[in-house]
Amino acid sequence: MENKGKTILMQRYELGRLLGQGNFAKVYHARNLKTGQSVAIKVFNKEMVTRVGMMEQIKREISIMRRLRHPNVVQLYEVMASKTKIYFVMECVKGGELFDKVSRGKLKEDVARKYFQQLIDAVDYCHSKGVFHRDLKPENVLVDENGDLKISDFGLSALLESRKIDGLLHTTCGTPAYVAPEVIKKKGYDGDKADIWSCGIILFVLLAGYLPFNDRNLMEMYRKIAKGDFKCPPWIAADSKKLLRRILDPNPKTRFSITRIMDNSWFRKGYKQIEASKCPPLSNRDGEDFMDIEAAFASPSSESSTMSSSEEYAMKPYYFNAFDLISISSGFDLSGLFERDMISQREEARFITTTPPSMIVSKLEEIAYKDSIFKVMKKNGTVRLEGKKRGRQSQLIIDAEIFEVTSSFHIVEVKKIVGDSMEYWKLWEQDLKPSLNEIVWAWQLIILATLLNYFDPTQIIISSGTCLTLFKQNLKFSLVDGKNDC
Amino acid sequence: MGCYLSTSKKVQKPGYEEPNILASETPFSVCEVEALYELYKKLSNSIIEDGLIHREEFQLALFRNKNKRNLFADRIFDLFDLKRNGVIEFGEFVRSLGIFHPNAALEDKTAFAFRLYDLRQTGYIEREELKEMVLALLHESDLMLSDDMIEAIVDKTFGDADTKGDGRIDQDEWKAFVSKHPSLIKNMTLPYLKDITLAFPSFVVRTEVEDSEV
Repeated sequence: MENKGKTILMQRYELGRLLGQGNFAKVYHARNLKTGQSVAIKVFNKEMVTRVGMMEQIKREISIMRRLRHPNVVQLYEVMASKTKIYFVMECVKGGELFDKVSRGKLKEDVARKYFQQLIDAVDYCHSKGVFHRDLKPENVLVDENGDLKISDFGLSALLESRKIDGLLHTTCGTPAYVAPEVIKKKGYDGDKADIWSCGIILFVLLAGYLPFNDRNLMEMYRKIAKGDFKCPPWIAADSKKLLRRILDPNPKTRFSITRIMDNSWFRKGYKQIEASKCPPLSNRDGEDFMDIEAAFASPSSESSTMSSSEEYAMKPYYFNAFDLISISSGFDLSGLFERDMISQREEARFITTTPPSMIVSKLEEIAYKDSIFKVMKKNGTVRLEGKKRGRQSQLIIDAEIFEVTSSFHIVEVKKIVGDSMEYWKLWEQDLKPSLNEIVWAWQLIILATLLNYFDPTQIIISSGTCLTLFKQNLKFSLVDGKNDC
Repeated sequence: MGCYLSTSKKVQKPGYEEPNILASETPFSVCEVEALYELYKKLSNSIIEDGLIHREEFQLALFRNKNKRNLFADRIFDLFDLKRNGVIEFGEFVRSLGIFHPNAALEDKTAFAFRLYDLRQTGYIEREELKEMVLALLHESDLMLSDDMIEAIVDKTFGDADTKGDGRIDQDEWKAFVSKHPSLIKNMTLPYLKDITLAFPSFVVRTEVEDSEV
């Protein structure tokens, strides 16, 4: 055989050199045979995994990593398995562990700050998805060839759902020197505050070059952790020292939250929040790119009257033909075959209206300018609401595409293009939906509502099948409105 | 579950097919087929525990209501049921879902949509069929439109798609129409299928993939 010496996995990946080895797994470099993409493959020995009862943990790690898509979190692409092995195919991070950078000594303040900013961004993101890492330490934090940080190893992570009735997590885990005092005390703890503590330890290590709490005697170390008893070396500047004290506060209640950290002046220095990198250009339904015209329709400045600008611009909605109309049937929506939480990833809604496009646009502008948090762009049949960046919150971009079925009958599709799910959900519930209800004849496919079923267990799951009944009341109202319009 | 004595080392469930074979005929990998089997087991035992997907089970999954009929869901069920024996077997499930894979060929998606809309399987989408489908959609959405309005919608689309003007849309006309309006087959792609192994990780325990194949 020609390929002798080369190991091919599942006819998809060519296995390369060993990158690292842990208690239960080996990590190899590998290459996707079809795309050429470099990946890291973590190989578990199934027999060992079963013997130590880790199978459930591995399955949980998969479900957790599946939820996470963030530039500072290592992505899990797929999972493979044979009779004796389990393979995690993951994003390949070429730079190595953050641990290696520190083991050569403390970092420059600016470098440490950049890593810390990215770490907090990533941890904040994980928390927003209901995931607590619980084992944050420099060995689990990787740095890629561009010097960007990536969190990995969610083997000990917990989901919000695993909280007990008191709303707290109860499992002690993590690595002693990085573990928060309330975790050690086994009293039940908030996953987010415990992760923040670990971030504080990492920041200390980056700035000092050694651990804040370290003692050969484990009991002595725990005592120090419980009291938050640590000393900063003289080269750590006063403002970062102050921040460290607020993060490494043994009382989780008074410990800084992520919001407070992000508002801190030392943290904010040179802070660049992750850009909405994957935001697609505003394009029409047939895929044509309209970026060039976009500038011409840039949002009106606050001085100009918003109403007039909407009247000046005539929308040119895409014509929705009979097959387009049919294609939106819930009967074609096979996502229902998959588990409920897969559906929850969709954040779009569609409604039918008899309101003319110019009025639909005015309505959207009214929403956008209400708290002047959005600027509005228009292109053919699409209205884009682009959130202005406010502090720590990520940018939100929402597209509303208007389709013409007949001159008196339009369909509007509203979907989130970029942004935090939780924020969109709030905006949808508080502003978008109530305002749009005034012009809606009937809603179709409200899928968005399942979004936060893990966030609020009392949340009613609304799937495509039930949305219409829920909106029946609005429908009656709107029908009357619609008739008045005609 | 009972254990059968069998000469082959694996107990064959009705309708089960070897993941290797299915993987070679579809865009799925062996592991993805095994992950789909985890999903299939759930769907096919939700009402009648026989390891086959019945129409009611399909409706239950789609609408959370086993009795909810829908013209389009019915059509999809019928097309998935390749053998036309009233149930979707595992092989049929995987082969049909393969068409919905983001990597599947556009021609396959276009052809599948055509068969879906050719309600009476005459090889043409007739005007009456299109009208019936528009009516079904409007009914499903609780929309009451005047008959004139519906006629106008159907006429306009037929005028655009039936380029030969013989009152029916044939496969070639359909292909041309779809290439002009690619969004028409947007519903033939399920992005979820790309991370199916992450969604149903239980397959890692039960996999039958030999190490030599790895």
